[in-house]
Parts: sequence; C-alpha cells; structure tokens
Amino acid sequence: MSKILVVDDSSTVRDEVAGFLKKNGLDVDTAVDGRDGLAKLKASPGIKLVISDVNMPNMDGLTMVEKIRGELANTSVNIIMLTTESSPAMKERGKAAGVKGWIVKPFKGDAVLETFRKLAG
Amino acid sequence: MISDNAKGSIDGIFRKAAQSRLVLAAGDTCEIAAIPTNDAGLIPEAQVVVLTISSILFRLMLMLQFDEGADTRDYFFAEGSASTVQEIFSEQANLCCGAMNQELLRYFPDLGMSTPYVLNAHCIAHLEDLKPAYLASYAVTVNQAARIKATVCVCTHAPLDFVADLSALEESCGELELF
Amino acid sequence: MIEAYCLAALLSSVLTALLVWMLHRLRAAKTLGRHRAENTARIDTLTRDYERQSELLARALQEQRALELTSAQDQEGLAQQAARCDELSLTLKAALEDKDRWAYQAKQIADEAARLKSLAATFERWHEQMISLMTQNQDMHVKNQELSSIVRHVVIVSLNASIEAARAGTAGRGFAVVASEVRSLAARSEELSKSYRDSLHRNDLTTTTTFQDIQAGGKMITASLSSVEALANQFQAKLH
Repeated sequence: MSKILVVDDSSTVRDEVAGFLKKNGLDVDTAVDGRDGLAKLKASPGIKLVISDVNMPNMDGLTMVEKIRGELANTSVNIIMLTTESSPAMKERGKAAGVKGWIVKPFKGDAVLETFRKLAG
Repeated sequence: MISDNAKGSIDGIFRKAAQSRLVLAAGDTCEIAAIPTNDAGLIPEAQVVVLTISSILFRLMLMLQFDEGADTRDYFFAEGSASTVQEIFSEQANLCCGAMNQELLRYFPDLGMSTPYVLNAHCIAHLEDLKPAYLASYAVTVNQAARIKATVCVCTHAPLDFVADLSALEESCGELELF
Repeated sequence: MIEAYCLAALLSSVLTALLVWMLHRLRAAKTLGRHRAENTARIDTLTRDYERQSELLARALQEQRALELTSAQDQEGLAQQAARCDELSLTLKAALEDKDRWAYQAKQIADEAARLKSLAATFERWHEQMISLMTQNQDMHVKNQELSSIVRHVVIVSLNASIEAARAGTAGRGFAVVASEVRSLAARSEELSKSYRDSLHRNDLTTTTTFQDIQAGGKMITASLSSVEALANQFQAKLH
C-alpha cells in the first residue's frame, strides 16, 4: 500500500517527483487535482505523506488540505506543499490549515529525500 | 500609465526569472535578446503557453513559445518522462512565471498567479487589442540549443511606478521550510 | 552740767541712733542692693526665659501654620487623587467594555474573512465553464478550417468547370459565367473564413487572458483575506 501521495495537475511534476521517490525505494501514488487527491487519500488510509501543488483546477491544494483536516478528520497525515507560490500570506494559510512544510519549485529531490523518508514513516 | 522605472524593472525581473528557471543546469549559457513583438518571427501555427499575474494595480501576461525542434525539446525533456511536450513546456513556463511572481511579491504584497494555458501563436498578433501599457518580446537561447520566444505584456489599471532591486540573491528554492 | 550731760547723752543717743539708723539704712541699702541685684538677675533670667519661650512659641506657631498649609494641600491632593481614581475606574470599565466589543468585532472580521474565502469555490466553477468555452472555441476553429478547405475545393472545381466551359466553346459560355461567379463567391468565402479565423484568435486571447485574470485575481483576494483573518485572530487572542 502506498505511503506517499503526490498531487499536481502537471504530469511533468507528477513524473518528476513520483519518479524520483520511486527510484529511491519509496511507495508512491499520484493524483491530478485536489478532488482526486481527497478521493485517493480516503481510499488509502496507509498514506503517511502528501506532497501537493497549490494551483490546480477543480480544487486547489490548500482547499484540499482544509478538507483533509476537516471533513476527512485526518490530522495525522503529514502534508508538504510543493508550489511556485511563495507569498507569506499563502504560507500562513497553509500553516493555519495544518500543512507541515513548504517547498518552492523547482523540486530538488536530494535536498528533501531524507526528510520525506522520515515523514513517510 | 507606466513609468520608465517600472518598465526597466519588469524587463529586469523577466530576465532574472528566465536565467534562473529556463536554464536547467548550473553551467549552461543563456542569451536573452530583445526583439520587436510584431516581427517576433513567431511561427503562427506553433503553440504558446500563456500565464497571468494579477494585482490590484496591473496584470502581467507572460507568453512563451517553445521552438518545436528537437534541440529545444531534448533540452527540457527529462529521461523517462511520460509527459507530452505540451505538458513539459507548460510546466517550464509555470516555473518561469512563478519566479517573476516571487520577485514582484517583494513590491506588491497582494498578487495572484493563474495556471498555464496553451494557445495558438496567432493570438500574439492581437495583443494590441488589450491596450497594453507595456509590451516587450525576447529571443531566449539556452545552452545554444533550446530556443524560446517570450513576450511580456502589462495592462495597468492605475499609474505603475516601482524600482526593482535585482541584486538580491534569489531566495532558496527547492528547500523544505518546516512550519 | 547735767544739761550738758543730758545734751551730750541725747546727742550721743541721737548720734548713735543716727549711726545705727545709718548702719541700718546702709545694711538695708546693701540688702536692697543685693535684693535688687538678685531681682535684676532674676528678671534678666526670667526675661531671657520669656524671650526664649516667645521664640519657641513663635516657631511653634509657624510650624503649626506650615503644617496646616501642608495638611490643606494634602487634602486637596487627596481629593484630586480620589477624583482621578473615579475617572480611572470609569475609563477602565469603559475599556473593559470596549475590549469585549473589540474582541467580538475581531471575531466577526475573522469569521467574515473565512466566509469570503469560500468564494474560492466560485472561481473553480468558472474554471470549468472556461474550459467549456475554450472547447467550443476549438470547435469553431475546426469548423472554420473545414469550411476553408471546402471553399478551396470549390475554387478548384470552379476552375475545372471554367476550363471545361472554354473547351465547349460558345455552348459553354453560360456555364463559364456561372463558373466564374462561383469562383468569386468562393474567394469571398475564403476572405470571410480568414477574417473569422482572426476573430476566433482574438476571442481566444481575450477569453484566456480575462479568465486568467479572474483566476489570478481570485487568488490575490483569497491571500489578502487570509492575511486579514490571521491578523483578526491575533488581535482577538491578544484581547484575551
């Protein structure tokens, strides 16, 4: 069962991030937007870490996080945002919603691999 | 309704963003030359990726046309990627615009950025319809292989004047900031 | 001789008496003098004492007056302090009421900001509609291209018809005219199609940039509202 869920509407990013993590022996699933991410998380309770973009159609990343903590009542899964957004206001909203960390794209796998491993338990 | 300082600043911000996001490897070269928008030599049937940054005072549109040739495609194509060329170029444009967004955030605290959308290059000819306050085009060449034509178009709702300090080192990106 | 003796005796008695009297007077004078000196000394002492006491009394009176003055000032001061205390009490009470009101208003602001943020859902709805609009535009492009290709085909056919008509000589002249008309119609259609394609591109650009502006603008508003919400919550926390 997958431990990590990568959510991004860009297949390039999904390939890059999931591909890198899989290459390093981690179990990864992907979702194409907030709605898909929510559904996939509901279906796989074994997911320990969610890596998500902010700007996505159908449901943006931060709304998805708010729903994960709210409707799904899942307060244990670790959530990291991976996005081009860097404004303090956005980060504050993320923090308030229960996001654990923030990475500004582009993705640099080596810098975060160990932390991801730890967060995925 | 846009001061010369603002024009120069926007030009500088684009150049800085292109240098940092369109260049994939640290040692690769990057040449950015200003070209006239009308004579941009854009292949009409080609595709452009369009993104918008909106603020209370203005909106800025970035249009990037990636050359359809193998050189450009190979430069941006990652090994083992299952994405289409369009998706790869959309993401590159997204990163470049994202860098411009981050820089502009230092001077305009309330900014929003759209998701990318792909249009036919014909559309660039009609940019004048939007009555822009600033319009500039560039020919970007990365590592003497990848070729991109960029157009920056700014429409203002109020007088725009600011001076960008481009000497600042880029904030670390790719690093995880834990809350 | 008795007379002389008597006189002498009288005289001596008088003299003695006088002497005694003088002595007595002397002694009395001395005593008086002494008493006087004593009294003078006592008067001096008493006078000195009296002066000293007067001085002490005057000083005491002065001090008493000073104390009375200070006491009056203190009382005034106390009265003022008491008045200020009352004022402060009222101000504190008002401030406490204000604080409650502000805390309530801060909560209202935070709640309103949170509610407005849910508008983000509206932008998502627009995104779906935008995709549908752009799909329709795409349809129009395709149809226009088909039309263009049909028109080009018609031009070719009419050219062929003209050639055939020319070969047929005079019999084909009527036909040649028709063929020519068809060709010019086709040319006009081609022009229209080109101009229509232009319009579609203009439309694409306007639709896309407008929609992106709305999308980006919506995010800008949501970000601002988050700032407001955070500030209002911080303010509310400080008031408690």
